Formats: sequence, structure tokens, C-alpha cells
Amino acid sequence: MGLDFVGQGAGQTDGNIITTTIDKVVNWGRKNSLWPMPFGTACCAIEMMATLASKFDLSRFGSEAIRFSPRQSDLLIVSGRISIKMMPVLKRIYDQMPDPKWVISMGACASCGGVFDTYTLIQGVDQFIPVDVYIPGCPPRPEDLIDAVLQVQQKITSGASPKGVEAVYE
Amino acid sequence: MQSGLERATGEKMVLNFGPQHPATHGTLRIVLELDGESVLKATPHAGYLHTGFEKLGEHLDYNQYIVVTDRMNYLSPLSNNFGYVLAVEQLLGIEVTKRCQYIRILMAELSRLADHLLWLGTAALDLGAFSVFLYSFREREKLYSIFEKTTGARLTTSYTRVGGVLRDLYDGCEEDVRQFVTNFPKALKETHTLLTKNRIWMDRTKGVGPISADDAISYGLTGPCLRATGVAHDIRKAEPYSSYDEVTFDVPVGTNGDAYDRYLVRMEEMIQSCGIVTQVLDNIPDGPVNVEDNKITMPDKSDAYGHIEGLIHHFKVVMDGHGVQPPKGDHYCATESPNGELGFYIVSDGSGTAYRIRIRPPSFLHFQALPHMLEGGMVSDTVAVLGSLNVIAGELDR
Amino acid sequence: MSEENQVEEQPKPLVLEKLEANHADALLAQDESRGTIVVVIHKEQAYAVLEYLKTDPELAYTFLVDVTAVDNSQMESELMQFDYARFMVVYQLYSYQGQCRLRVKVPVHENDLSVASVTELWQGANWLERETYDMFGINFEGHPDLRRILMPDDFEGYPLRKDYPLRGRGERESFNFDKQNV
Repeated sequence: MGLDFVGQGAGQTDGNIITTTIDKVVNWGRKNSLWPMPFGTACCAIEMMATLASKFDLSRFGSEAIRFSPRQSDLLIVSGRISIKMMPVLKRIYDQMPDPKWVISMGACASCGGVFDTYTLIQGVDQFIPVDVYIPGCPPRPEDLIDAVLQVQQKITSGASPKGVEAVYE
Repeated sequence: MQSGLERATGEKMVLNFGPQHPATHGTLRIVLELDGESVLKATPHAGYLHTGFEKLGEHLDYNQYIVVTDRMNYLSPLSNNFGYVLAVEQLLGIEVTKRCQYIRILMAELSRLADHLLWLGTAALDLGAFSVFLYSFREREKLYSIFEKTTGARLTTSYTRVGGVLRDLYDGCEEDVRQFVTNFPKALKETHTLLTKNRIWMDRTKGVGPISADDAISYGLTGPCLRATGVAHDIRKAEPYSSYDEVTFDVPVGTNGDAYDRYLVRMEEMIQSCGIVTQVLDNIPDGPVNVEDNKITMPDKSDAYGHIEGLIHHFKVVMDGHGVQPPKGDHYCATESPNGELGFYIVSDGSGTAYRIRIRPPSFLHFQALPHMLEGGMVSDTVAVLGSLNVIAGELDR
Repeated sequence: MSEENQVEEQPKPLVLEKLEANHADALLAQDESRGTIVVVIHKEQAYAVLEYLKTDPELAYTFLVDVTAVDNSQMESELMQFDYARFMVVYQLYSYQGQCRLRVKVPVHENDLSVASVTELWQGANWLERETYDMFGINFEGHPDLRRILMPDDFEGYPLRKDYPLRGRGERESFNFDKQNV
């Protein structure tokens, strides 16, 4: 949980008082209510939909509040091939998201171009936007996406800043 | 071109719909010119997912390209695999074994179910019926597990090979599929209960986005969108390929060509597909799944690992210039994919790589006809019509 | 000998008969390839022939399946056949009435990259021709809206030409964010 339970067992407070830092509380809240912005373009989007649907049910991990407006979300899931015509759109959507924001690059195409080494395809979105977690696979299974969301949660708990923030201060 | 703001000073308003919008399922973009709530003009834009499939076809050999066809219509990759290898086989002038043909039909019809199910889920989701989405995916996951057991992958199946399929059906496949097609009509009935007589659903789809049969042909619509206008054309019937003439099924048609008819046609097609699957399972013959032609098909894995002849055979088939090499010429082969006519036009120069591969995608022409269906309607119809067309961006832009 | 006789006895397909009777001067070549009839038409008469194929009540090729092109610049044999015409515009037609397919090819020279547009005949030709223009740079005269469709508007070059490299000319690494109107 990332929270320290002080006094528990000592009998002084009956475990009703928790001392922590503001950062930790905020991060704990953030981690359990990630609002993803699905930027689904191709095959991976179908697996992303499967992750959200009945069998895999991403809401078990607090991320079911899918927001199609970037201004309301803090986790961008880039799933699918990004062409040179699409990249400016993606960049703009990323810029519109409020800080702090995390980015998952889902699948081989978004991460490195995948099998499509062609004239029109961006060979990895990380050339243009900072990516926190990459998911390999073509397409990755829903379990992989869930794992990536958990990794973002871990990253938040550990207090590390998102890649986007690091990039600004570098 | 004037910017949107300048135009809005008059009576009209320009609304940019997409490319990133929940109802565009990816990367479609429509620029709508509105007068109040009614659509004066709609301009669809394509190309946001252009991947260069056709160019890639000139650089990959015939079996490698199967991987690319998976990623074209990612709702039903098995149909794409099927359509592509059929074109190459016709170019080569070979016919695959009876068992292989039946397996391919089986998989193509199951993937038609998967395609229509996803269409159903998302089209209903766009109009606010969230439960249908969950119901559809529940059934889809069952199909996925059959696909995964057969091909090794949930989505990117790459199951067919030139001259055969990757491997025979797994043990117990028949029971799994039979169980699925027995239960599926019941599950579909739930959806019928939710939607077919639902007043909101009917209000939002009936009479919305209509197109006449003549216009549909002129625009090049195919598949369920064409059949919803009343044209009973199905390539599986008109030009039966791969033993489709040995199964019986009906071709459902609509009357008005509106979104509601497209919905009904697709729903009925799913039931018909179940019937085809049952017939295939009843009549599937035994025998090999790959043609016996050492220049085309791979040896068994045990042969490739166990005997020097098998190893040499394997090496020769995959080596450039020794494997599948269709004679010089060109060929266009059309198959009935879940969305409509999926055609592959292949030009061969006699080498192991195609000289040119052209893919004729159904979605490209469906998306083009969108303004015809939207103009004069209401802005809220846009989502309903777009949903009913099932435009797949991967196929649209290639 | 008997086999040869059988071949000769096969009736000529109706479409070829009718084309020979009505548009003999436009017909550059005819062939039957794997069950599909293929005709090569002179560029100048392409529109007239396609219109004839569509409107003739006996033929009724009312469905334009596809329009595309092939860059023959690396296929010497094809090039020589039609007087070194670099491009071949290919129309696939289908007749619902006769349930048969027809492939119409039109050779186009590099120094005169234009063909008459068939958007008047089939509304569906609009995007198909735009795509052919986008990928090969072939102009369709009389097209109402001939612009790029798949590539960005400011893109240079024609990707499906044989001299265009698979990995592009650096467009994917160095495109301009500001120029694109999103």
C-alpha cells in the first residue's frame, strides 16, 4: 500500500492513526484510479477492448474509467500502428493531457514499428513522446496490458516521476 | 480552404469528428458541415492508419506475406489469411485437399462470427447499449480460445499456408466448436431481446442512413451493407470457392438498406454461419491437410529434424528462389469476407516475391459512401451509421 | 488433333465478341487468364469502352470492383508488349447479371500520365482513382476532387512506384509537426 501503519500493536492508538506523507497519500490515490485514455488505432485496440470487457475486466485494477477526452485522463495507452499522418494527432493528444501523465506503448508497432518497416510508419512513438512502459507482443495478450498497468501503478507508488516530467527537467 | 472558424460565422458550423473519437474505432475522420443539428455535408478522410501493406507485398515472399494479412482486418484475421492464400493458389494453379478446404471454411465462418460479434458490441456501445458489448465479448472470448488452441494465437493467427494450413485441427476441436455453435444461438437471442424490439435502438437505427440498391452498387458496396439494400449477392454462392458449394445456407437480405437492416442482416448471417459450421463438422473428410508438392509445402517437423532429406526439403522451401514461385501473370481473387468482397490482385513476375499485390478492401468503398447516407440526416445519426458500416481502419488504409 | 478441335469449338465469350464488333479499334489485346477475361484498351477510348461495358444491357458490368495501377518499369516483358508504357491502370469489373468478372487494362505512358476518370459512371470510382493518384501519380481527367487520400497532403513522391524505396526517403523521421493541420 505504501502507507506506514504506526502504533499498530503497541496498543496506544488501536491502529486508528496513520502517519504518512502527503506525497504517499496522493500517489496511493492516483495509483488506484488511473484514468486511461485509449489511443487505439489497430489490432492492439481489439485486445485493449478485450482487456476492458467481461473476461479480463481491467476495472479490477481501478482503471475502468476510460476517458476519450485527454483532458480528463492521466494514462495514455498507445495501442496500434502510428503513421506519419497520425503522429501529430497523437502528439497533440499527449500535450493536452494534464500532468502528471504516464504513457504505455502497447505492442510492437507502437514501440518500434513492429513488422512494418515501411515509408509511412513511425518506428517507435518514443521518438516523439516519452514512454513509461513498453509492452512487447503483436498484439500483446490482455494479461500483458494488465501487467503494464500494474507496472505503472508500481512506478507511481515508488514515487518516481513519469518519463514526461523527467524529459522536461533534463 | 477556409478554416473552421471562418465558416462558422455564417449559418453553418463545421464539426471535426475524429480521428480520435470513441465512435470512430480507431482512426477515421469525418468533417461535418452542420446547420443546427442537420448534416449538410460530410467529408470522410482516410489514411490515418496507412501502413504500406501493398508496398510490403513487393518485398516479402508469398508465405511471409500471410503475417501481414492478419493485421489488415483485425476483427477476422482468418478470413484475410484465407482470401490471400486462395489468390496465390489460384495463381499457382493448385487445389488444396478436401480436408483443408473444409478446415478453412470452418475457420472463416468462425471468424465471421467473431467479426460480427465485435461489430455488434461496438455498434451497440456507440448508441449507449453497454451490456451488449459485454455479452459480445463473452462469446468472442470463447471463439478466441478455439482460435488459440488451433492456431497458437488469439488474434494474429497466420493460420493458412500456401497449399494448406499451419496444422490440422487439435484433438477435441470438434467438441469445442460443436458446444460453441449449440450455445451461441441462445446467447444471440439475449442480444435480440435487448436490441431488436428496443424502442431506443429502433428509433436510432430505423430509417437512418438509407441507401438504395442502385446507389449501393454504384458506390461499390458489398457484403452485409449491399445485402441490406435487397441485393441477394454473396460470393460464396455466386462464385463458390473452396467447397462452399457443398454446404447449404441462406443469404439474408434487407429491404431499406438502413442501419437497422444492416443490423438484422448481420444477426441472421451469424445464425447461418453456425449452420455452415455444423455442416462442415458433420462432413469433414479425413486425410492430409497440405498438398503433396515439395516445392510448396513444408515437410513435417519430425522429418525436418529427423532426416537429412527432410532438412534439405525444408531448407529449399524457405530459401529465396526455391519455394513458392507462381508462373508469370496476374490474377484477381475475391472472397466473401465478413465485411464484403475482399479481393487480392496479385501480379507475379515468376519470382518468389510478388511483383505487385493490390488489396481490394470492402471498408474503403463503404467509408466512401458515408456522405451519401449521412447528408440530410441528423448529427447524432453519424455514429449510428458509421457503426452500422463496420469500417475497419486497418483494412481501409492498409 | 481432337483436343485442338475442342479448343476451337469453344464459343468466344460474349463480351469479346461485342467489343470486337463495336470497339475493335480500341482493343489492343485480349486474353483469358485463370477464368477471367482480360482486355487491354487504348487509353483514348478507355472511357467509351468502360461506358459501353456498363450500359450495354447484355453485358451490364454495373459493378466497378476496383481501380488500381501497376508500375511495370521493372518488368521488361510487360513493358515491351505495349510500347514501353510504364503504368498499367487496371479496372476490375463484375456483372451481377451474368455473374462474371472482367479485367480491363489501360497502358499509360510516363510522359502523359493521364486517363479519363470514370467517376461519372460509378460513384465508387472517386476514392479508388484518388488512391491510384496518391500512390502512382496518375492523373484522372475530369475527376471532381483529385487529391491525396492516404498520404498527408504535403507528402512528396508516389510510394507504390518501383523507384520509391520501401523505407521511404526519410519522411517518417523528419516530418514537420506544425505543417500538419490537425
